[in-house]
Amino acid sequence: MPEKLLEIQNISKHFPGVDALRGVSFDIHRNTVHCIVGENGAGKSTLIKILTGAERRSSGSILLRGREYNPRSTREAMNFGMSVLFQELNVVNQLTVEQNLVLGKEKVRLGFFRRDPQVVARMYEVLRSLDPSIPLGKRVAELSVAQKQVIEIAKAIASESELIIMDEPTAALSEEEVNRLFTIIKELKRQNVTVVYISHRLREIFEIGDAVTVLRDGQMIGTRQVSELGSGGEVGSTAELIKMMLGKVVAERYVAGGGGQGAPVLELRKVSNAKLREVSFSLAKGEILGCYGLIGSGKTEIARAIYGLDQKQGEVLVAGSPAALASPREAIRQGIALVPEERRSEGLFTRLAIRENIPLMNIRSISRWGIFSARREKSLARSYIQKVRIVARDENHPVEKLSGGNQQKVVLSKCINADSRILLMDEPTRGIDVGAKEEIHNLIRELARGGTSVIVFSSELPEVLNLCDRILLLYEGRIRDVVRNGPEVDSERIMHIVTGAKEA
Amino acid sequence: MKNRRVDLQKLVLVGILLFITVVFTILNPRFISGFNLMYVLIQNSFVIISACAVTLLMISGQIDLSIGSTVCLAGMAHAWLSRAGLPVGLSFLLAIVVGLLVGLINAVLVVRLKITPFIATLGTMYMGRGLSYLVSGGLVIREGLPDAFSYVGNESLGPVPYTIVALVAVVAVFLVLERRSVLGKYSVAIGGNRTAAMLSGIDTDRIVSTLYILAGAFAGFAGVLMASRLGVGDPNIGIGFEFDVIVAVILGGTSLAGGEGSILGMIIGALIIGGLGNGLKLLNVFTFFQSIMKGFVLVLAVLLDQNLKLRLGARAGARRAERSRERA
Repeated sequence: MPEKLLEIQNISKHFPGVDALRGVSFDIHRNTVHCIVGENGAGKSTLIKILTGAERRSSGSILLRGREYNPRSTREAMNFGMSVLFQELNVVNQLTVEQNLVLGKEKVRLGFFRRDPQVVARMYEVLRSLDPSIPLGKRVAELSVAQKQVIEIAKAIASESELIIMDEPTAALSEEEVNRLFTIIKELKRQNVTVVYISHRLREIFEIGDAVTVLRDGQMIGTRQVSELGSGGEVGSTAELIKMMLGKVVAERYVAGGGGQGAPVLELRKVSNAKLREVSFSLAKGEILGCYGLIGSGKTEIARAIYGLDQKQGEVLVAGSPAALASPREAIRQGIALVPEERRSEGLFTRLAIRENIPLMNIRSISRWGIFSARREKSLARSYIQKVRIVARDENHPVEKLSGGNQQKVVLSKCINADSRILLMDEPTRGIDVGAKEEIHNLIRELARGGTSVIVFSSELPEVLNLCDRILLLYEGRIRDVVRNGPEVDSERIMHIVTGAKEA
Repeated sequence: MKNRRVDLQKLVLVGILLFITVVFTILNPRFISGFNLMYVLIQNSFVIISACAVTLLMISGQIDLSIGSTVCLAGMAHAWLSRAGLPVGLSFLLAIVVGLLVGLINAVLVVRLKITPFIATLGTMYMGRGLSYLVSGGLVIREGLPDAFSYVGNESLGPVPYTIVALVAVVAVFLVLERRSVLGKYSVAIGGNRTAAMLSGIDTDRIVSTLYILAGAFAGFAGVLMASRLGVGDPNIGIGFEFDVIVAVILGGTSLAGGEGSILGMIIGALIIGGLGNGLKLLNVFTFFQSIMKGFVLVLAVLLDQNLKLRLGARAGARRAERSRERA
């Protein structure tokens, strides 16, 4: 066993109302690829932020090379030899590859840049060793995501990083690019660099990981050597990992709805685009259909395609007749409404009051001939505050001052008021506390009982299992399987499919 | 919450307006005379008439720098058409259409061709100015205008000058648009969150286009009134006028980023700037100082408003914290 590079001891992080991490301890050994897995909200990103100095831990200690490590800023973490490859890459698109490499490494004299030939030469050498095909003079904007990653990795190595944290580096890569990245990661090990690798895709862990730590709900579930788990591709080897990730998932609240009968209200036939591959399914009146997959599996893309935000090939039928659905306006006119993933930036007008937000998806509900009635606006808002139980001072309460759950109820009211028969709900309870989550779920069930059809796009398995009558399982833009929810539903099999561990 | 903040801000504006009124009246009692106040109002009615539409446009997060050129171009068109023998009434209307067309061009540039509003309207500003010079060969159109040309700008309906009648009518229409119309509501929504507006099915392109066209048409209206008041078509008029408009709008509490603003605030803003200019002129202050004062008041008013917001925000925060502590 190689020496310990980083010892994480009993780390906790409390946010108001949430314990993001609770007593997490594990060691990262030098010259290994250490994977961290867990569902959304398991605490992975909080852990990265603590390691890189973006957040301070609430308690516990970290030892780096046996010495206390407590970075107060990302710059300080960098000086300790810690680099991060974020999903949002930190390259400057307007500059060339060469300029990006030396950015921040220039020597300044009298306000003028002076190139340090040694630094530049070292940079080139590192980049060449990783990927000789990247031209130095090209503008970074013209490179692929994978090539941009290589530039960031090169910068990290050249600044003598001992530890590189990679946060879902393959989410936006093609298969070929993934393979090239893995070659680079293996090369990094040879160059004495330790990699912390965060991914949802279990297959990748078996391919490059040495050790894997599983987090769930902010707690450390366990650390295993990948070699002890067996080789990839075999069903048995991933089973233990999946069990660790999920814990006991039970659909305790699921009650079979009356939906699912009759002619479909929405049907997709072989819908494809840049992110989707021949997606076909149908939605019945009053049905709650789940769309489950990991980040990057195409959930949001399906919602965007239906709502007319992205181009698409293939056919969409609304209530049996073909519909182009080329814009949100058209979708709304056909009775489709979207509850977007980013509530505050896409769903709400945060500076406006509840009263002003609710009618904006269907202004005709309060206006005639282009003039609206303030009286009707007020009574409309009051009726929704009662109906969906928004907790607020009154209808004039600004939406930005509401809690996440109540904000989501305002978005829902907006959609209901648009007379929508089909609701697309993208991550309907993200960032909402447990009690309010249950309330939102109940509202969705109520709507479905009233005849509205709902598609829930979620990356939380318990949510899908609690709510949905049927569940589409997505992996890399394809529907891999459809399961009917019920007491016998096999959550482990679901995880196998959406993590790409097993062919459906 | 929001309403109270806006009211407070208007209170600050009214305070400033009262303050300069009192100061100027003490320094020169002529300032408060009915004749002088009417003069100030007429002088500033052109700014206010154009700024009504511009307020809505800026609430939606856009900007129009071509207003001054449009004012000028419409006035030139009116003079040119009247001199060519068209009935003054018809020429009046056609000149407003010229303004409307400039607005339409802005709309096409910004909405269809996706040019940044600042650049697009800067372009039409130069083109409009150039066209005004071209119409008359760079000269003032003075000779050959019918008497009726000067009528609206200098006559009165009973005791009320037609200019003031127009001012009141335009303000009334825009107050309704701002407070009661779907267009006003959508302007606030688009300025507040364009993505959410688009996802809510609002035809953002159509609304923004409408606002540009309105801004152009009312700049045309202001231009025609101004030409009639002066009795000439002058290609040098309205240089910097767009900034008088924008200053009034911003002073009135409209955010450059869009999403909030008010026509009433803009009117008070325009009167502050106008009153300041008039007062300084009555005191025979050198014109260069007037410009310095204008800039100073703008910066001061915005600064005051920002501080007020911060202070109130902090106090509200402290209150909330206290309340939650009490509960705990």
